[in-house]
Amino acid sequence: MRKLTFRGGVHPLHDIHEGKEKTRAGAIRPFVAQVVSIPMDMHIGAPSKPIVKAGDRVLMGQLIAEPVGGIGIPVHASVSGTVKAVAEKPMMKRAASMCVDIENDGLDEWTQLAPLGDVEKADPAQIIPAIKAAGICGMGGACFPTHVKLSPPSDKKVDTIILNGAECETFLTADYRLMLEQPERIVNGLRAAMRAMGVSRGLIGIEDNKMEAVEAVKKAAAGREGVEVLVLKTKYPQGGEKQLIQVLTGREVPSGGLPADAGVVVLNVGTAAAIADAVTEGKPLISRVTTVTGCVKEPANLLLRIGTSVQDAVEACGGYTEEAGKIFFGGSMTGSCVPNDTVSVTKANNGIVVFGVKDAVVADETPCIRCGRCVDACPISLNPMAMKQAWKLNKLDDMESKQHVMDCIVCGACSYICPAHQQLTPVFKTAKDIITARRAKK
Amino acid sequence: MSLRISTGPHVLTRESTQTLMLDVLIALAPATVAGVYLFGLKAAWVLCASVLSAVLSEFVWQKLMKKKSTLNDLSAVVTGLILGLNLPSGAPLWLPVIGSAVAVVLVKQLFGGLGHNFMNPAMFGRAFLLASWPARMTKFLLPERLLGASQAAFGADMASGATPLVPQKLGLTPDVALSDLFLGNIPGTIGEVCKIAILIGFVYLVAVKVITWHIPVFFVGTVALFSWVLGKDPLVAILSGGVLFGAVFMATDYVTNPMQKLGQCIFGVGCGAMVVIIRSFGGYPEGVTYAILFMNCLVPLIDRFTNRRVYGTVKSHG
Repeated sequence: MRKLTFRGGVHPLHDIHEGKEKTRAGAIRPFVAQVVSIPMDMHIGAPSKPIVKAGDRVLMGQLIAEPVGGIGIPVHASVSGTVKAVAEKPMMKRAASMCVDIENDGLDEWTQLAPLGDVEKADPAQIIPAIKAAGICGMGGACFPTHVKLSPPSDKKVDTIILNGAECETFLTADYRLMLEQPERIVNGLRAAMRAMGVSRGLIGIEDNKMEAVEAVKKAAAGREGVEVLVLKTKYPQGGEKQLIQVLTGREVPSGGLPADAGVVVLNVGTAAAIADAVTEGKPLISRVTTVTGCVKEPANLLLRIGTSVQDAVEACGGYTEEAGKIFFGGSMTGSCVPNDTVSVTKANNGIVVFGVKDAVVADETPCIRCGRCVDACPISLNPMAMKQAWKLNKLDDMESKQHVMDCIVCGACSYICPAHQQLTPVFKTAKDIITARRAKK
Repeated sequence: MSLRISTGPHVLTRESTQTLMLDVLIALAPATVAGVYLFGLKAAWVLCASVLSAVLSEFVWQKLMKKKSTLNDLSAVVTGLILGLNLPSGAPLWLPVIGSAVAVVLVKQLFGGLGHNFMNPAMFGRAFLLASWPARMTKFLLPERLLGASQAAFGADMASGATPLVPQKLGLTPDVALSDLFLGNIPGTIGEVCKIAILIGFVYLVAVKVITWHIPVFFVGTVALFSWVLGKDPLVAILSGGVLFGAVFMATDYVTNPMQKLGQCIFGVGCGAMVVIIRSFGGYPEGVTYAILFMNCLVPLIDRFTNRRVYGTVKSHG
């Protein structure tokens, strides 16, 4: 069979199996922290508004914060216990985040749930409200509210939903274990989303370094209406939204547009599993699978309650093996660095990777030798070398209008492959932020 | 706990400019060894002088200009060695010394150092020497030793050491066996004569992914095709002179060739066409150096028209 892939891309950590070996065989293991600190601003959109106060007893799955604004989502208690504090704390964002701290009573007592039932029988009109009520957002890293994604403007005709099971990022095996161990949840979630949107085609794309997962999901998808599992070549960033759409449907997302402009909605497999839970059991999103790996004693795929601190998650894996020099949420290509290990795991954190001090060192830039590797690697066909040159010359307008920097997906492929170790992706990210801010001002 | 914060990626390729240059040096080793074997110890002296001059020039220039030394990246060593391999074995030692100094200082450093030169430094160094001391640069000696069993590769009339390109230029078929052309039992520059050694270097560079096949294959293929069209033996055309060495080691210089694969193919075809045009209609029997330098100058133009369409946009030029 011809394996599907896109032009460009890189093979980071290919010689050590993308860094996934340590946790590949580790079955998902639940871990429950004594205290959780749940940020109100996990998702993209206005932070949710807490409706509990210190001293309140809350049950698992109980609403603790209401959505604010058009794309807000609610937040739920991830453990049963007593609210210790509702206060601002430093988290991942520059400004402090409002957090609800809950001390776990260890009872795991669920609040009253209102399931819709079987995904094939539930009223389609009820599904998206149920997804919103469950506080679901993109669990692949972006954390964009899912109910918004599933409700595109009426002029955009979506005919395909793609589930992203590529997990092309290094080190991560959370999606792999989920697909292997609970493929039914994933397929159910996809079917629920398809029925909610009235879409007849659902594609699940999985990289060929996860053939066991392909088999498991294929088995679960057998006989399900409109669902197809497709094998992708292992290459980074195969799981990028634009790449998946291009590879699986032959369409391109127009520059500056959304996947819906190409008639597609892309969801992470973890998000699909959360949708299934929301529909069939009425359970809100209060836990997720996170790969904890790197310099930890027993790397593992943990089922963590939202709000668990990095420190607790690392302790659950036996602690650090050496002094940590860098810790990031996500894989090593696009992961975001945490300022310290007291920050909380959010709905979007698919991985916690710990690097020792030695691996945290940033390489010195040497002069560009025009080798063209960045040009070959760019999955969007940009010219990173020329963009960096424009940046150095302060030509932000050229970057925007001539070099299409706003189409950069910040995947890190160019920076990774550069033998001169030039800072490329970080510069483009900064440029995009500046241009976005400038556009907002106008 | 003090954690470093940075934007991804958090892992980088193990390649560096230094490892790439080291790979080029490794790929040049077979041609270097073959050259010294064929032409004897005097060839080794030429190479040493060339490399030392390149390294010293860079060192002194960067000291004078109070710039950070970049000797570690090995690019000066590569420039020196490539220039040396492009010289006749009997060259007086001041020739490589001047050539390397010109290549490193005039072409590379004056334009801002590695990555900023628009022409290949070694190529320019050779062109400079060729223009300044044409007689010394084209006085090729016969190999002192032969590789493989040879059936008297060159007659007494060739003792002055004209390369097989001279008779070809005059419209004659050179009286040389193909095997001798291939093994290097012919007069020529130190590095260009032994084709098998160059091919080993080519295979190595492609295997370790330092270069892709595009430029060398299009370059050599075009020379063969054009020569054949003009009624010359295509095999003799590509196995004579510096075509193979130039296509593998000089046209593939990252700094001075196009960024995109399509552009590289055009660049290769252009180099090949220029070689045949100079050989057939120009004043010189050989034209690899000038062909590559000419195409180097066209790179910005080629780059400009070979940009790929950006994902999600409509194709536009310029």
